[in-house]
Parts: sequence; C-alpha cells; structure tokens
Amino acid sequence: MSAFWARNRLIVLAYAAMLVLLLVTSLFSPGFLAESNLRSVLVLAAFVGIVALGQTFVIIGGGIDLSLPWVLNCAAILMTLLANGQNGPLLWIMPLMVAAGAGIGVINGVGVAMFGVPPIIMTLATNVILQGLILVYTGGAPTPSAPPLIQFLAVGRLGPVPVIALIWAALAVAAWVLLSKAAFGRYLYALGTSRTVAEFSGVPTLRTMLLTYTISGAAAAFGGMLLTGYSGQAYLGMGDPYLFTSIAAVAIGGASILGGSGHYIGTIAGALVLTILGGLLPALRLSSGALLIVYGIVILLTVAVGSETFGGLGGLLLRRRRD
Amino acid sequence: MTSLAAQPEIDAPRSPNGGGPDIRAFLLDRAPFLVACVMLAVIVGIYGTLQRDVFTLDELNLDTAATLTLLLAATGQTIILIRGGIDLSIGGVVSFGTVIAATHFGDDAGSVILWSLIVLAIGFGVGAVNGLLISVLKLQPFLITLATWSILSGASLIVLPTDGGQVPAWWQGLGGAYWLGLASPVWLLIALLVFWYWFRATRLGVAIKATGSNERSAFLSGVSLTRINLITYGLSGLFAAAAALYLTTQTGAGSPTIGKDYILPSVAAAVIGGVSLFGGRGSLAGTAVGAFILTIIGNLVFVLHISSYWQPVAQGVILLVAVLASAFAEKAARAQEQ
Amino acid sequence: MDLLEVSGVTKRYGGIVALGGVDFSARAGEVHALLGENGAGKSTLIQILAGAVRHDGGSIRVDGADYAPANPDAARARGIAAVFQELSLVPDLTVEQNMWFRREALSPLRTVRGGVMREKTLALFKRYGFPSLAPDQEVRRLTLAERQIVEIAKGLASDPKILILDEATSTLPAREAEWVLALTRQLANEGRLVVFISHRMGEVRHIADRLTIFRNGQTVAAHPANAVSDDEIVAQMLGRKLDRLYPERVETATPRIALRVKDLSAGKRVRNVSFALREGEVLGVGGLQGHGQRELFQALFGAARARGAVEVWGKPVAINSPRQALTGRDGLALVPEDRRGQGLLLTKSVRENLTIAVIRRFAEWGLLSRTKEAALVKEMVDFLRIKTSTPEQPAGTLSGGNQQKVIFGKMLLTQARILLLYDPTRGVDVGTKGEIFQLMRDLAREGYAILFYSSDLPELVHVADRVLVMRNGEIAATLEGEANSEEGILRAAVFESQAA
Repeated sequence: MSAFWARNRLIVLAYAAMLVLLLVTSLFSPGFLAESNLRSVLVLAAFVGIVALGQTFVIIGGGIDLSLPWVLNCAAILMTLLANGQNGPLLWIMPLMVAAGAGIGVINGVGVAMFGVPPIIMTLATNVILQGLILVYTGGAPTPSAPPLIQFLAVGRLGPVPVIALIWAALAVAAWVLLSKAAFGRYLYALGTSRTVAEFSGVPTLRTMLLTYTISGAAAAFGGMLLTGYSGQAYLGMGDPYLFTSIAAVAIGGASILGGSGHYIGTIAGALVLTILGGLLPALRLSSGALLIVYGIVILLTVAVGSETFGGLGGLLLRRRRD
Repeated sequence: MTSLAAQPEIDAPRSPNGGGPDIRAFLLDRAPFLVACVMLAVIVGIYGTLQRDVFTLDELNLDTAATLTLLLAATGQTIILIRGGIDLSIGGVVSFGTVIAATHFGDDAGSVILWSLIVLAIGFGVGAVNGLLISVLKLQPFLITLATWSILSGASLIVLPTDGGQVPAWWQGLGGAYWLGLASPVWLLIALLVFWYWFRATRLGVAIKATGSNERSAFLSGVSLTRINLITYGLSGLFAAAAALYLTTQTGAGSPTIGKDYILPSVAAAVIGGVSLFGGRGSLAGTAVGAFILTIIGNLVFVLHISSYWQPVAQGVILLVAVLASAFAEKAARAQEQ
Repeated sequence: MDLLEVSGVTKRYGGIVALGGVDFSARAGEVHALLGENGAGKSTLIQILAGAVRHDGGSIRVDGADYAPANPDAARARGIAAVFQELSLVPDLTVEQNMWFRREALSPLRTVRGGVMREKTLALFKRYGFPSLAPDQEVRRLTLAERQIVEIAKGLASDPKILILDEATSTLPAREAEWVLALTRQLANEGRLVVFISHRMGEVRHIADRLTIFRNGQTVAAHPANAVSDDEIVAQMLGRKLDRLYPERVETATPRIALRVKDLSAGKRVRNVSFALREGEVLGVGGLQGHGQRELFQALFGAARARGAVEVWGKPVAINSPRQALTGRDGLALVPEDRRGQGLLLTKSVRENLTIAVIRRFAEWGLLSRTKEAALVKEMVDFLRIKTSTPEQPAGTLSGGNQQKVIFGKMLLTQARILLLYDPTRGVDVGTKGEIFQLMRDLAREGYAILFYSSDLPELVHVADRVLVMRNGEIAATLEGEANSEEGILRAAVFESQAA
C-alpha cells in the first residue's frame, strides 16, 4: 500500500482535489450535481482529455508538443471540408485525418529525436507552419457544418451516457495498457527519466520518442474532428486554448514536466479539475479573467506539491545525496 | 629547474598565440548567427528588388518601429535563455502592462511617468517572483512561468475585459518623434544594443553566461543561483513591461490578450539569432536579427502579392532552418574536436 | 607554527566513514605529498580543504586561525585554492574569463577590464612558463590536457598561499607533466605550500619534501621524503593486506575466444587496439586514467563510434548502439563508469531497473506479466543479495554498493556472456567489493568472459588473469603471471613519461 501511495501520491491528490471541487461547486451552485450538468462537464472534459492524451505521452518521455492547436485545427477544418456535411465519406476521412496527424507527429519526432532540435522549437515551428498552410488553403473562409455522425459522437448519448465519454473511456483504457501493461510504457518512463541510461540499457530510444509524438499528433487530430461536432463547425483558432489546457491537465495530473513520471490516469483528473473549475467560477459570478488566475494558482500549487521542497521523491533523493 | 625555460606545446598543430585563429572553428562557432544574418540579407535583398525605396532611412524607421515590441520582449527572453531557462510569463506582463497603461495614464506627463514606473516595477516584480519560486521551490521554469502567465492574463482581463482604453496623444506621438533623421524606435534600438554590450561585459553578465553554460561550475566558483534567478527573471519581466509601454505608443490602446503573440515569437527570434536553448551562448545582436527577420518577412509577403497567410509558414520554415543550422554546426564542431 | 594544521578531522557519508580522524600538518614553502590507495581519504580531505565539502568533526587551522570554509569562494578568500581532477571550468567562457571568474578587475562603468585581464593572464603565463594557450579561446574548444592546465592557471590566479594539486598530471602528456613538477617546485620556492597528490610514485619521490600516508580514512604516517624507501611507503599504504577481499584465483579460461578485437580505433583516444578475450577469463585493463580505457569500453558497447574489426564468439559483428550489443546470449553487456548518469534510473524502482533491458521477455500477447517479472526480480535480488526493503524502492535511495549490484543484475538478466565492467567497485564499500570480485570469478567459472577496467591497481593484480595496460590509447603491455604486479602495471603505464 505504501508503495502504491509513494508511486501514485500526486494522482490520488489530483482526484481528491477533483472531488473537493465538485462538492464546493455544488454548494455554490445547487444544480451542479444534477445529471445533465455532470454530463456536460464530462463532455467538455472529454475534449481536453482526448487532446491531452498525446501530450501526456510526450511529456512523460521528456518532451513537449506545442503543435497540438493547429494539428487539431487542420484536422477539424479538412474533415468538415472533405465531408461537406455527409456521413458517408467519414469512413475514409477520419482514418485519413488521424493518419495525417500522426504524420505531423512523425515529423516532430524526427526533428527532435534524430536531429536534436529542442522539442519546444520543433513543435512550435510545425504549429505555425500548419497554421499558415491551412489559412492559405481555406483563405479564412468558413467551413461547412460538421456531419451528423460527428455531432452524434460529440454530443450524442447512449442511454444516460454521452458517446464521447465512452470514446474517452476506451482511449483511457488503451493509454493505461500502453503505459502500465506494455513494454512500450517501460521504455517511455526510462526515456523520460534519463535518455542516456535508457540508451545504455538497450531501450530503443529513437523509436520510443517517435511514437510519443505520433500518438500526440493522432490524438490531436482525432480530438479536433470530435470538437467540430460540439461546436457545429470548424473555425480558425479553435485549437488555441487546448495548448494551455493540455499541458495544464498533464501537470495537474501529477506528471513532471522534466519527464519520467506521471500517468494518463492522472491527466484524466487534470482534465476534470480544469473543466469543473470552468463551471465553478460562473457559479461564483466570476469572470473568465478570474478563471485564468485560478488556473495559474492551481498549476503553481500542483507543481509545488510535487516539488522536492515538499518532500516529493526527488527531495528524498537529494537528501540522500547530501549526507 | 631547466625545464621552465622550455615551453611545452600541447597538440602542436594548434598555435593559438602565434598563428592566426582557426577560421573554421571561428565560423562554426558563429554559424547560427551568420546563417541568420544571411537570411536577413536575402530577405531584405529580395524585398529591395521588388519594392522601391527600401534602402532608406524611412524604411529603417518603419521596420524598426514594427520590430521593437518583439525585440524588447525578446531581450528579456534572451537573458533568460542564456541563463539556461525559459520565460512564458512575458506574454502576461505585456498584456497587463498595456491594460494598466491604457486605463491609468492621465493626460499629464506626471501621471504617465508615474504609471510607467509602476508598470516597469510590476514587470520586474513578477519576474523576481518567478525567479524566487524557481530557486526556492526548485521548480521548473516552464510550468512556473506558464502559471504566472495565466494569472497575469486573468488579471489583465479583469482590468480591461476587451481591447480598448486609451493613452494620451502625445504619448502615441513619442513613437513617431525624430532626431537626426532617425525615429525614436531606432534610437531605442541603439540604446538597447549599447545596454547589451555594457551588460554582458559586467561581472553579472559574465556570471549569467557562466551559469547557463555550467550551473555546477558557476556555483562552485561562488555564484549564488538564487540571486542569478531573481535578477535574470526580474530583468525579463522588466523588458516585457518596457515592450508593453512601447506597444501602447504604437497602438494607442490596451489589449488583455495581445501578450500571447509575443511569448513564443520571443523565443523564436532569439533562437533564429543563434541563442542556444541550452544556455550559455547567444547575444542580443542575434536576437535583433531574428526579430527583424520575423517582422520583415511580413513586408516581403506583402510585396510578393501572395496571401498574408504565408507569413507564419515562412516564419516556421526560417525557425527550422536556423535551428537545424545550429544543430549541424554543433555536430561539425564536435567532429572537428575529436 | 605550521601553515596548515589538520587534527582529528572526520567525515561520514551516510553509513560510510570516509575520514576517521585525519591529522597532518604542512609548512609554507614545502611540497607536501599525500599518498594512499583510492578511497583512503585523500580526496575527501582536499574537498574539505577546498570548501566543496564540510567536515563533521575535528579542526583545521590555517595560519593558526580556525578554518571551515562554506564554499570554494570562501576557501579562496582564505588563500587556499584547489585544482581538482573533476574540472570546475565553465565551457562557454574563455580561458582568461575562467581564470579570473568572479575576481575580474572592473572599470568605472562596472565592466570587466579585458585589457587588465589579458595583461594579468599573460604575466601569469610568463612568470610560470605556461604552455602556449590563447587566453581568448573558449574552454569548450580545448583538449582535456589543455583544460587541466587552465584549471591550474585558475588556481594560481587567486594567488593562493596553499595550492592543492589533485592528480594534476594524470591526464597530461610527458612534457606538460614535467612542467607541472617544475611549477610545483617554483611555487614552493616562492614560499607557498603545495599539497601534491599523484599516483605516479616517481613524480612524488622527485618533487615532494614530505609525505603523509593515508589508509582507510586515516593518516598512518608522515615522513621527510628522503627518509623512507619505496618499500616502506608501499607497506604503509597497503597496511596489513586485506587478502580475503580477493577471491582465490583459479584458472578457468578455456581456449575458446569470446571477443576478438583487431585494430580498433575510436576518435583520438583509442588507437589500433587488438586483443583477444577468452571464455572463462577475467581480462584486466589498466593504465593511468584518461588513456583511452573509457572510450575502448564505450566503443565495444556501441556507445561511441569506432573503426576496426570485432568478433564475438567467432562471428564478425558491427555494433553501433548499446541496443545492438545487448542481443541476448551472444551479446555484450556493460556496467558503465557513471552509475548515476549512465547506469541507473534513479527515481525508478529496483524492479524497473533490473528488468528494463529485458522487459519484452515478460510480454504475453503484448501485455507484461507482473508475476513472471516479480519472480525473476526476486531471484536476482536474492542471488546478488541486494539490500532493499522491497523491489519497489527507488534505486536512487540504495547505497552505492547496492546500486552497483542492481546494474550488475540488469546486465546479468540480459544473459550476455561477455561482460564489460568499467571500474565496477568505485565508491563501493569494502564488503560489497569482495562480493563483486567473488561474483566475477564465479561467472568466469561458468564460462562468462569478462573485460575489467579498474582504477585501483591491487584489484587488477588480484582479480584479473591477465592485464592490458593502456597508454595514450594504445595497449602498451599485456601482463601475465609474475609480471602482473602493481609495479609492473605502473611501470608499463608511466614508462614513457618517466623516461622522458
């Protein structure tokens, strides 16, 4: 049990924070715990969670992906343009877009892993290039509305459960298997902890790095397409908020930005915390500005809790080294 | 002690005192900066052939005026990168600075000066808090400054929910003041470069570079990391605040969201100019070249009569070219050493 | 009154006693050598003197005043400068910037006065006959030997009363090493105290006025240098031999060649190295530090680029990455030099560290079997007697010896039968050392082939069947039987330098 606590302390704390927030919010806004409201919180959190899935893998591996916003946006725009409101073409469009997102991820991964470009710069560059290209392509014109199937996936329900929650759950299981049950997960944590040690231990570091960025690109593209179903259509800049929220969700979920720790299970809590906060502040009649301030404070608190100074694992190591 | 007379030589082919410097090593060292200069020359060259009157003081005044906000923000970022960190809170400081200026500047000079000083103090203070948190809590600059960015952005939205407010007309006029044919932004640019060459020659400047190059060696030589973090992040905030004040002379208003347009471009300008993300290397001259490239590429897109949407594409490609150039130069330099 | 008086100084690192009461004193104007085996406590003492580490007990007096510097800056302010083996230079600053760092002369504008700095640099270079070095060269462009010289210059720049030279000659070519000796004498003649540490006995005999001998964290004797014989010094350094530390050496090598290396070169540091390692053999690699041993091991493991022919179990192979080296029974496994930087995932558990290289073995349909993994981990923890509360304990919280055992376990699990062990007992307590040596002999008996570098001469002599001595990237000698002695290895390692 203590080993579990030591390993997952930050994740447990993230869920605890989520529960506290739920209770607090319901105090200020009695309708908050109603089924319909919880459902809409879940739907909104699902978008953050799906987009942050790839970010989780990249950050555990010691990198960061700033190209998410426009990978997401490009996939959304191209999908709506190509489908033109029809369900039929989605059969090939959706796999194609996910593959294209993965392709951008491969480019990021090659730059970072093989050419040694710092991840911040590499993914920043692909982000602005994609932004420019899609603007050139569409000329800034509005796109057709999302096909009904996408809208069903984004806001539809199966019984009481939102469809997107099921999708999210399925992705979460897949991520959990990859991180906790597959050799890939071990390689990823080793890579994020120390690339040199991983290499000296025979870990296929290049392939592992490539794969993280690939997953990230694919998840962003997939999330972007679903998002059009929520907003009804694709629009320019729809991905921009997700850069901040994806990183924040991963950080609140207990991952170290230096890599080597964290889990998607934590990111899920992070996505929920961010979304619930988004619901709490209007209940308190606070503006969007206040929300940003609270986000910032929450990030500061979570990273402080995980820091050496507050007796995290790193602190233990540091003390050993000193004596 | 006869052997004292004979001066031994290490690795004979290198004769640093006598012969000329090793040209290849010299060039490889400066490759990222030189690549940036070449890119700027090419861009200006193409621009100059397509457009008349490019090589004039007017054009210089205009381009400098357009570049200076980014350059001021990137000056702080350059200091941080050389120290071996990153500062995302710049965006928050810029937004907050503009909204404070646009809501509090009165018509009289006294009020403007007072509130300008307050804005600069806030910038330095926010940066100093970043630096302290990073040192004391041993936290990662990326997340710390992301958090303070968020907090300041929120504060900006509370002060001024949408773009607006105003600054006195004479304040706006400052951006267009001339002396000896050069506009005030050019003088500011010159002042900035003079400041830089002074700053990097001070003990503090050397210590910052040393800390970014090898934190442990610097520490062993007696550098206080807490002090270095406090000062570098403080300066970064200060320059971001200066960027905000300058920006209000250009736009005449405040914007609670404009700051985010300067966060990553400030990093990009520095990296294009050859500042290393790993610390210890780079100069403001490089960052200035990078900032001019990112700005003038917009002019070029305009005179080429192509969609302005090509501008970010070009910026991204230039960023990649610059960073790959420095990666390859680094590799070549290392191969030469072995 | 002596310039430097150390009495009863103690220092513990966790459970390990590094210094158990050190007494020594030295006068101004002398060269005072500290002698002792690796781990005898010399380096701990000089780290304390230099302000890099603080002592737990005892007292140090400089010029009669108590001395307990908080950091190297404070030490320099009291007139003590140390030239460490682990260099403290900043790579992106120039030679002169490094020398005068934090002590630069300032102009009225508070800027560093480059001209003054240059003058002082050149004056210092001239006064002490420094090898030609460009003061404006960035340190990252310098060779290791040049950096060592800059480090000495940095030490001198603070005009110290006491200068500590820790193995300052070990990475230097012959002529430069000789220059350091001349410099040492000159400094002593100027009235400074030079505390001199070197493994090259010849140098020490040549330069030192007095010697203090360390053994197991204590000072055992101090002599005028010309009053003792080499034999007496060696006897005092070694003390009563811990012969039980080393297992009985039985001939286990078979004629079968496990690893054949022909004309292997890597960078400038390994030149045309050829040797054959047999099944069941422990082949030692010795020589002064920095003569290509590290690069040889890394090249064999695929972690550094190399040219030349390598045959593993009779088959020619080209190994370009550690991943290619770790290919199961026919592979090569490395226990690397830097335990924390290359060997261990410090924040990860003992279990994860042990199995990272072989994790695929536990996959069934792509899913890892924790039961299988746990069983193998338990087996390895028991086999190596790794002292850990649970296999889930983070590896970084184990003691040095147990950390090393985890790395051994990781490599043994790969089933590679050629083991490359780079200084595997460095910083490991005596008990664990014995266990590691026993393990090596046991593995050899089972048919493993072991290439074994050690910075500690007695280890090579007592554990290895044969010893390759490297000098300037080449194999200078292969010692076997009677010839495999501490003296033989040292002679082969330094012969060139001594002859010059």
